[in-house]
Amino acid sequence: MPRRPLVVAVSIAVVGLVLTVASSWAAGRVDRNTEQRLLQVQTDQAGTVLSTAILLVQQPLSTALSVEKVAGPMGDTSAFTNLMSAQVGAGKMFESASLWQRHGHRMKRIAQVGDAPLMRPGDKTTVSFLQHAFGSKTFIVRAVTHDAHSSIAYAQADASTGFAITAERSVPANRRARVDNNSAFAQLNYAIYIGPKADAAALSTTDVAPSSLPLAGTTARTKVPFGDTVLTLVTSPREHLGAPLSQRLPLILLIGGVLFTAFASGAGYQLTRGRQAVETLYGEQRDLSERLQRALLPQSHPAIPNLDIAAEYVAGAQGVDIGGDWYSIVGLDDGRYAFVVGDVSGRGIDAVTVMARARFTIRAYLLDGHSPAATLGKCSRQFDISEDGHLTTALVGVGDSRTGEVTIANAGHPAPLLVRRDGVEFVTTTPGPPLGTGAATYASTTFTMTPGTTLLCFTDGLVERRTEDIDTGMQRLATTAAGATVSSADELVHHAVSTLRTDDARDDVAVLAMRWAGAR
Amino acid sequence: MAEFVIETPAGARRSLAVSGEFDLAAVEEFLSAALGCLEDAADVCEIDLGAVTFIDSSGLGALVRVRKAAHDRGKEVMLTNVPPAVSRLFEVTGLTEAFGTGSGG
Repeated sequence: MPRRPLVVAVSIAVVGLVLTVASSWAAGRVDRNTEQRLLQVQTDQAGTVLSTAILLVQQPLSTALSVEKVAGPMGDTSAFTNLMSAQVGAGKMFESASLWQRHGHRMKRIAQVGDAPLMRPGDKTTVSFLQHAFGSKTFIVRAVTHDAHSSIAYAQADASTGFAITAERSVPANRRARVDNNSAFAQLNYAIYIGPKADAAALSTTDVAPSSLPLAGTTARTKVPFGDTVLTLVTSPREHLGAPLSQRLPLILLIGGVLFTAFASGAGYQLTRGRQAVETLYGEQRDLSERLQRALLPQSHPAIPNLDIAAEYVAGAQGVDIGGDWYSIVGLDDGRYAFVVGDVSGRGIDAVTVMARARFTIRAYLLDGHSPAATLGKCSRQFDISEDGHLTTALVGVGDSRTGEVTIANAGHPAPLLVRRDGVEFVTTTPGPPLGTGAATYASTTFTMTPGTTLLCFTDGLVERRTEDIDTGMQRLATTAAGATVSSADELVHHAVSTLRTDDARDDVAVLAMRWAGAR
Repeated sequence: MAEFVIETPAGARRSLAVSGEFDLAAVEEFLSAALGCLEDAADVCEIDLGAVTFIDSSGLGALVRVRKAAHDRGKEVMLTNVPPAVSRLFEVTGLTEAFGTGSGG
């Protein structure tokens, strides 16, 4: 039991943290998926921009070939020279451009503008490159390296005229080049490879240090047709592409979740501990009430000559609060005895404490030799409902076991029933006010029991019902007692209680029966 | 089961009427209303018991407490329309004298 608050707190913490981590992970995953998707969109856009750039490369070659188709057969290369001069030079598209004419298997360069190309006439690679161009419907591309100088060589040929054009575009030694300031690349790091594979050897250009390649983290790639080959564009985001919240959400969820979990865990601990404290307190109070009740009700009766004594206490059905009903019988000197049946209004520990006080106060006066009326008169000055909130009714009597004489006084209590062999009769008492209403005087009633007569004292729980007045209940008791064929006080008590008591009765009941056998 | 109800006439809270089952559960509400009535009353607070269907020792105790509170303030409590069953209970419990002749049953 004492560990329960801790268990609750830890359970809340575990569940809270699991949910926090799960939601944070899910938000992170959504963010990563979004990033991947946005990156792919941007990469595809960049690929489109690259395609356009490739058109700009191809355009001069195609144009020059068309011009040569007209001018070439007349041996005029000036058109080529004029056209390509606009595209060749520092800061322009190409560093060099060459016009070739095929003669059988030989390739002859018939014009050249710009720097000396890396692809020189007569080289096997040059011849092979040109022959390949004549076999291709599009322009073709080769990376050319010579003395640590790299270029990309383009070639386009027209098999019908036998003319071919090559152009070279140098690649910076560190491959660092901004392909374009186009906004499509603004948020991307990229590496462009010639060919379908992203190999370091095939690297064309990049905006990062080549040594840091390949790009790590979230990457996307796309392929762009490039003459007879393709360009492979690999990208990674330079910064978060999606909404800032999407990026921070996992962290926000994580921190918020941990804080909330800590709060809920603490609150759960406090609530459980508070509830446990209340339960413990309630249990202790109930336990204390029950122990008090047991302690205050006699476990056995004194042995009084000629007197058969029986008693029973039945708790009310309502809740666990015990009531304030009690009975008591005590032997005095000279064969006399004193008895009390009382009822403190209300329920619970307060009622029981008042009951205890009333019980011992009355008993003390009786043991001290006071008459029942004097006892109640003295007690009436010691109880005040304004202070303790309870009214106490009590029937107090002193009997003589030698003569059968009984004197009783009544503080607002139901009168006792005399059960004779030949009939029943309520003792006529003159009830004074209950204890707690203020100082009062009480009248005595004295009567003598015949042998075999039982004096039955009880509290109102035995006769009281909500739907009828008290006389109806009293009459029912009289009828029940008269109809019983019993030979002992115990049998009478049991018969009365079992007959009259309903299971749902709210009030508690105390019954005390004293059967006088007669003098012997 | 008749629900316990307290009615206080609008304007002058010098009287109140209770109805239903006057038991332990009703005590707190009754005391609050009756002590309020005592505060407002010049000398007498009238408590109409005409519609009370049942009263137990806790209810009787509440009436006694209000009567004592009235005496402490030099005022009186007058019970009116006391049903016969309640009046009979006053007799049995020795309270007839305490509540005076107002028990017209």
